Amino acid sequence: MNNRFVINYTPGPTYLHQLSGFTKVFLFIIMTVAIIATYDVRILIPLGLINLAEIISMKPNWKPIIFMFLFTFFTVTVIGNIMLFVVSPDAGLNNCGTETIIWASASGRFYISKEWLWYVFAVFIKRTVSFFSVMAFALATTPSEFASGLNKCGLPYKVCTIISLAYRTIPDIANDFVDIRNSMMMRGVELGKKASLGKRLKNNVTLLVPLIMSSFGKVTNIANAMDLRGYGKNKKRTWYAEKEPTRADQLVRGLTIALGVLTIGYLIWSKVIDPWPAKIWCPFSDPSLIRQVSLEESFFLFRWLKQLFNH
Amino acid sequence: MEPIISFQNFGFKYKTQSSPTLVDINLDIYPGQKVLILGASGSGKSTLCNCINGLIPFSFEGEISGTLTVCGRETKKASIFELSQSVGTVLQDSDAQFVGLSVGEDIAFAMENICMPRSEMVPLVEKNASIVGMKDFIDHVPFELSGGQKQKVAIAGVFANDVKILIFDEPLAALDPQMGMTAVSLIDDLAKDKDRTILIIEHRLEDVLYRPVDRIILMGGGRIVADMTPDELLKSTLLKEHGIREPLYITAMKYAGCSLEGNKNLCSLEDLAFTPENETKLKTFFTSQYTPLKESEAEPVIEFDHVSFSYDHQKNVLTDINFQIRKGERIAIIGKNGAGKSTAAKLLCGLIRPSQGQIRLKGGDIRDLSIKEIGEIVSYVMQNPNQMLVKDIIKDEVGLALKIRGRSEEAITAMTEKVLKACNLYKMRNWPVDSISYGQKKRVTVASMMALEPEVLVLDEPTAGQDFRSYTDIMDFVNTLNREFGITILFITHDMHLAIENTERAIVFSDGELIAADRVCSVLANEKIIERASLKQTSLYRLAVKLGLDPESVIEHFISYERSAARE
Repeated sequence: MNNRFVINYTPGPTYLHQLSGFTKVFLFIIMTVAIIATYDVRILIPLGLINLAEIISMKPNWKPIIFMFLFTFFTVTVIGNIMLFVVSPDAGLNNCGTETIIWASASGRFYISKEWLWYVFAVFIKRTVSFFSVMAFALATTPSEFASGLNKCGLPYKVCTIISLAYRTIPDIANDFVDIRNSMMMRGVELGKKASLGKRLKNNVTLLVPLIMSSFGKVTNIANAMDLRGYGKNKKRTWYAEKEPTRADQLVRGLTIALGVLTIGYLIWSKVIDPWPAKIWCPFSDPSLIRQVSLEESFFLFRWLKQLFNH
Repeated sequence: MEPIISFQNFGFKYKTQSSPTLVDINLDIYPGQKVLILGASGSGKSTLCNCINGLIPFSFEGEISGTLTVCGRETKKASIFELSQSVGTVLQDSDAQFVGLSVGEDIAFAMENICMPRSEMVPLVEKNASIVGMKDFIDHVPFELSGGQKQKVAIAGVFANDVKILIFDEPLAALDPQMGMTAVSLIDDLAKDKDRTILIIEHRLEDVLYRPVDRIILMGGGRIVADMTPDELLKSTLLKEHGIREPLYITAMKYAGCSLEGNKNLCSLEDLAFTPENETKLKTFFTSQYTPLKESEAEPVIEFDHVSFSYDHQKNVLTDINFQIRKGERIAIIGKNGAGKSTAAKLLCGLIRPSQGQIRLKGGDIRDLSIKEIGEIVSYVMQNPNQMLVKDIIKDEVGLALKIRGRSEEAITAMTEKVLKACNLYKMRNWPVDSISYGQKKRVTVASMMALEPEVLVLDEPTAGQDFRSYTDIMDFVNTLNREFGITILFITHDMHLAIENTERAIVFSDGELIAADRVCSVLANEKIIERASLKQTSLYRLAVKLGLDPESVIEHFISYERSAARE
């Protein structure tokens, strides 16, 4: 079951795997905040390297990770940026505040600027770092550690139990689905490549009826089993999966707090003390030349609507 | 001594039902007793236990009359949480009650709920796991465990509160025969601690009696019908009246014309002391002349020719399987879970294809046929009917396969009616599928397969989740299909009773190999095969050994007598 996808049901052997659930959830939350709030390549690249190092240290099964990375790269980055080039070649100006055009089409409708390239690069870095961070967390954490860690972070324990029960039932439901699908195919329902796409979709939907019926039957049983073992009696509960913190945990929690402080410090410095005048930091922009772009100008939809009105 | 459980003029009616499920229950159970609560489906036995553990009225609402005290507390006033401190319940569905993501976590579940610190939890989990023999599996995830192992975990899981009463709700339902024996022994070991009171809810009397029980409470129609020792119950006629299967050796004694009076330890074949008269009767019966069972000589419908299969091209799930099934035969495919019997069935249905070798259906290689085309010759009925039913109305469900194949409206109606009549479902044809019982749903799934007029019917664990009465119904029905329409029937099962009563030949799998394909009586009389396949010796075999007779001939005798009796 382990590593079949990226979900690990039993803790792995490496240092990161052995950390307690709370440590991992806490680190993940602060990491996510740091990535979203800073949005600065100078911060993102070191964070990305840290997360990449974490992933490497866990010696994962690379196949699904690389697959997911390439999949998102092609759908989001490649296709997304072609679209961006078509509808908004001025994204560089909007985000970086200046524009240094390096190529333009004859009509001038399409062009590429240094800042546009930088903006595309910064977005790519942000997505990649987020991807690494999610991967590192998913690889390091078992579902029960996730649930217990979230509870320790303050989420009500009933919500956390739902999360761990979901992980518990995913493989069962998947098996049920395969069984139901097989029985339908034997009765002659076309689910394979022979049928048209619309028909296949429709036929797959009919499979949901028995799937939901057989899953509902289990819900009562699960609820009874939990009641009979005293679930929901107290306002709190303890977790078998939440290991006592070790020295390694304390170290990582300390580093996480440091990251949090660093993020706040960066935000104060870059927004209050020495505010950068554009949305994102860009090495090609001279701060004194940066032009403030109004909100309505920065969204192409707004601009199009305005042009329509002017006509 | 004070009773630990005491029902006084107790009654219960579910909110959703018009008539009461439990009526007039007066029952005292004393500390340290091991009690079997016996009854067919709908007899009220599960309801009775749900009253003790507090699920009634906590989860199932309804009206309670009279009083029930458990450990000195009246249940109406106690909460399910208070009761869970003294009553531990192991539910029938060992998979659904496994709520943790590892063995350790599941055992710890009750401790977590009472906010026990982890430092106390870990050693206690280890201790409880070792009581049930699961100590080496603490880190294992549920997906890697067998049904029997999950059940052991469930037992360890209710120990958390050092409970005084342990309730086992149909502990044998999901286990193969050998695991069932292990479970019964484990329960017996737990009963040795005289502080524990044990209640077992079951309808498989013979399997539970593998280890002694103190008392049997027989339920029927929501009332207590009998409260007696196992010996007294076996001598009475109550079992048959209330749809409980009697042990095979008792049936054999009856066939031989023995009187059940005067035999000591009737409930345990090992300790049973026959009266000299009975011993003579049995020996005469089993050595008399009989008509040997005929072997089919019809042409083969299914042939497996050196078939191997592997999922990853490395390790074979099935290795070099060879067998033939002739038209009109009834075959038992037996073996423990994971032995390869379902893989063989999937190969037969074309869901997976052999890595090596050839499967022939009516002489032709199935490689040339699609799943849909195979489905018109071989019908596969899954274990759980809820996984197969997709339509709202019975008639539409039965006609579905024909509709998919684009038959005309008239043809569909004609065929559906014919099948529904044959399956004794015609009266219900316009009923919603949701409104019928589990056993009836099973019949609907068989009927919807019959609409395609298949030549082979594969039934996966047809008796799972059924009591004796609905088992007998389904078997009668399937046997009629076999007799009147000449349909070849394959039972995938680990129920030895089923094999004895309804099949001519058995195909036995063990660890991906075919270890026997022979007459049922020869297979069941072969100790080596039984052991390798993790099956259970039937009590006929043990009876033969006890009497010093040849097991194969005793079993054949029994089958032959039973079938000739059935024909008359």
